[in-house]
Amino acid sequence: MTHSLHRRGDRESLKDDFVVIGCPATGVNKKGSAPKTREYLRIAYTHGPINEGDMKTGNIYNTTIDDILARVTDGTIVQVTYDSREKVVALLKELKEKRPGISITVSGVTDIVQEMMYEAGLGRIHTVEYSMGTWGKTERLPEYDVLKITTMCGHAMIANDLVGKMLRDIKKGRRTVEEACLEMAKACTCGNFNLTRAAKLLREMLPYYVVNRY
Amino acid sequence: MRVRDDRCIGCKRCFPYCPMGRIQILRRHEKIPGRVYIEIDQDKCTDCGMCYRAKVCPVNALYQPAEPWPREVRAVLSNPLIEYKGSQVPGRGTEEMKTNDVTGRFRPGEVGVGIELGRPGVGAYFRDVEIVAKMLAPLGYEFAEENPVTQFMSDRKMGKLRDDVLNERAVSAIIEGKCKLESLPKVLEAIKKAAEKVDTVFSVEIISKVPPEGEVPIIPILKKLGYWYSINSKNNVGLGEPQFKFYDNQG
Repeated sequence: MTHSLHRRGDRESLKDDFVVIGCPATGVNKKGSAPKTREYLRIAYTHGPINEGDMKTGNIYNTTIDDILARVTDGTIVQVTYDSREKVVALLKELKEKRPGISITVSGVTDIVQEMMYEAGLGRIHTVEYSMGTWGKTERLPEYDVLKITTMCGHAMIANDLVGKMLRDIKKGRRTVEEACLEMAKACTCGNFNLTRAAKLLREMLPYYVVNRY
Repeated sequence: MRVRDDRCIGCKRCFPYCPMGRIQILRRHEKIPGRVYIEIDQDKCTDCGMCYRAKVCPVNALYQPAEPWPREVRAVLSNPLIEYKGSQVPGRGTEEMKTNDVTGRFRPGEVGVGIELGRPGVGAYFRDVEIVAKMLAPLGYEFAEENPVTQFMSDRKMGKLRDDVLNERAVSAIIEGKCKLESLPKVLEAIKKAAEKVDTVFSVEIISKVPPEGEVPIIPILKKLGYWYSINSKNNVGLGEPQFKFYDNQG
């Protein structure tokens, strides 16, 4: 599925938000892929991701990188999230050189991804997938600011109400912005949640959120 | 997901973790005086397990029983930790374009089109999934074999789903498949009409092999027909091995 697609936000909000997925292919290179996937994860981790995980095991905020690495099997799909363009370029350069062999996708602003690929010597994008937005009963969606946060979990495991609760908790002094981001990151098992972007979004939302204390 | 009514104290800590929103009601316990507990609306619950995994229940009242068919499809489609054996991929869909560099699933002249009902965060019944599938089936849209929704179909030529799953619900359920580039306008038109009929939202995605030179072939079609597409996308960077040979002159 497309759990790293459909992230909402404008260019400014999305320009430092990248999910890099490593995926072996069923019927082609899945058999014997576990060491390749581990190699990809190991390389990716050295480039300082903000999140990293495997949807069946969890991410680095609800387990450890050692646990994620240990539980990789043939067919495991892994997600690594970065909050910096430079880190992804460095990662792509190393992947081009060491070629773990599994397929790699980068989700992000399209022209930025293409530029990063050129800088890494990878040439044109091989295959592209665009989001065409949300159709149907869109009046049921929460406000756009909430969507910008919740759509960072493609499986929709970060509830709309959880964003409200985090804002309330921050306003009431029960959590810091960073602790709120950590709580939401735990809910997004795959590791697609960008905590740096979430913190920025929460800080932008806070002045507009009024807590009724009495 | 269920609640043990003899344990639950109605503290509501699990409420904000539910991706489906406020689907719980408070009830007064018949045998324990003064005790209030929550009851989860079993029709609206998708068995995604998020409230349980959040580990916020102070009395361990939440539990997920093994559900029989057809209810078991809820957890299969909604709980990201569960792998659907037919797709051999954890989650709700397939590898789609993630492995196109080695599988050649989407070739020049073909367009992948995915419609994920219930996303983002609204949820969908399979009766709505069927509405969309039925509108795509006559248009030469080829449903992805390994996709869970395809596997739930009783008649793929008609896009008909099994009757026993129609009233089941998931956080989201994705129809995945492809069509010829020249069929794209009528496929998108059908999706637009389906949007007026379904009782939920859906997210639409579109996949294309990027040619070695020139414009991505779907872009002029989307622009001409006035369809919006996002500035962000998912991009296969072509590092998989062995590479699928898309062109005769490919090295």
